[in-house]
Amino acid sequence: MAFDMTMALFRPALKYAMEKNGHGKTLGLQMTEINRGEINLVFPYREDVVGNPLTGVVHGGVIVSLLDTACGSAAMTVLNTPAVAPTMDLRLDYMHPAEPNKPIYVEAKVYRQTSNVIFCRGLAWQEDKENPIAHCVANFMKVDSKSINFSAIAVTQLRRLMPWGRRASSDKAGDK
Amino acid sequence: MSKQTSDHQLEDWQTSIDAARLEKCPQSVMEMIPYASFIGAEAKLENDRLLYWLDKRPSNIGNPSLPALHGGVIGGFLELAAAVEIIYSLDIAAVPKVVDFSLDYLRAGRYKTTYAKCHILRQGKKLINVTASAWQDDENIPIATARCHFLI
Repeated sequence: MAFDMTMALFRPALKYAMEKNGHGKTLGLQMTEINRGEINLVFPYREDVVGNPLTGVVHGGVIVSLLDTACGSAAMTVLNTPAVAPTMDLRLDYMHPAEPNKPIYVEAKVYRQTSNVIFCRGLAWQEDKENPIAHCVANFMKVDSKSINFSAIAVTQLRRLMPWGRRASSDKAGDK
Repeated sequence: MSKQTSDHQLEDWQTSIDAARLEKCPQSVMEMIPYASFIGAEAKLENDRLLYWLDKRPSNIGNPSLPALHGGVIGGFLELAAAVEIIYSLDIAAVPKVVDFSLDYLRAGRYKTTYAKCHILRQGKKLINVTASAWQDDENIPIATARCHFLI
């Protein structure tokens, strides 16, 4: 495959957005592969996301987050124009519970796209990809983002990275 | 290290659930599930129905530029709500196992408190069907609806 300049530029931005922000950062997921229409990520086991305290199995909600992130990111990689891809729906089948203390691997692929909709498939497994813990299908809308003000977003982002911006928010937390 | 459920553990679990029902405190069921405090979900009884809510916190953000809640958090919250609904309101001596989960996103989840309510549509011998819906300002304007099946 020829060198894909857009992907080369987009890859670090997407990785940063998913790993260093909000819920992705909190979960501690790592994007291992980012290609056009295809995402791979890994989630190391952690005890604070357990859903069944009797068995130590991670909560299904974590699998939802991982697959939503992977499918959403895969959908973003196929957008050529400035656009966003909000999730329309997501359907998840749990084949068997995840085993504790083992990382979870996730793969998402865009298998079809039309002018308005992006169709994705996702798979989550631990040791054997042929014996997955969950399978999902997720559909995304293509929404033109001409209305989004990118310079305002950049300013907000920069402000958050600055030490004084961070201090202001931690002061607020300290007052409580 | 693998944790096998022993009868003893299950007994403890059942005792705690019974105590929560007796005190009419669904929040103590919530507190038994580590994932609930991970996303910050809480529960209470309101007019004899369970109401779940998720206060805004930075770790639940998916898109920092809007900012909007992470779609996966909304999904996880609804799945958790559905599970707690079953544990609290049905007399089952085990943690229900989720089989499938279907989620429709209706609107972007803005960075504010999100509420949820569940309905148990059918309880069979093996399978339970639950729907959950999430909203922010107005219960009649949902941001997401979910439907899930649990095995017992």
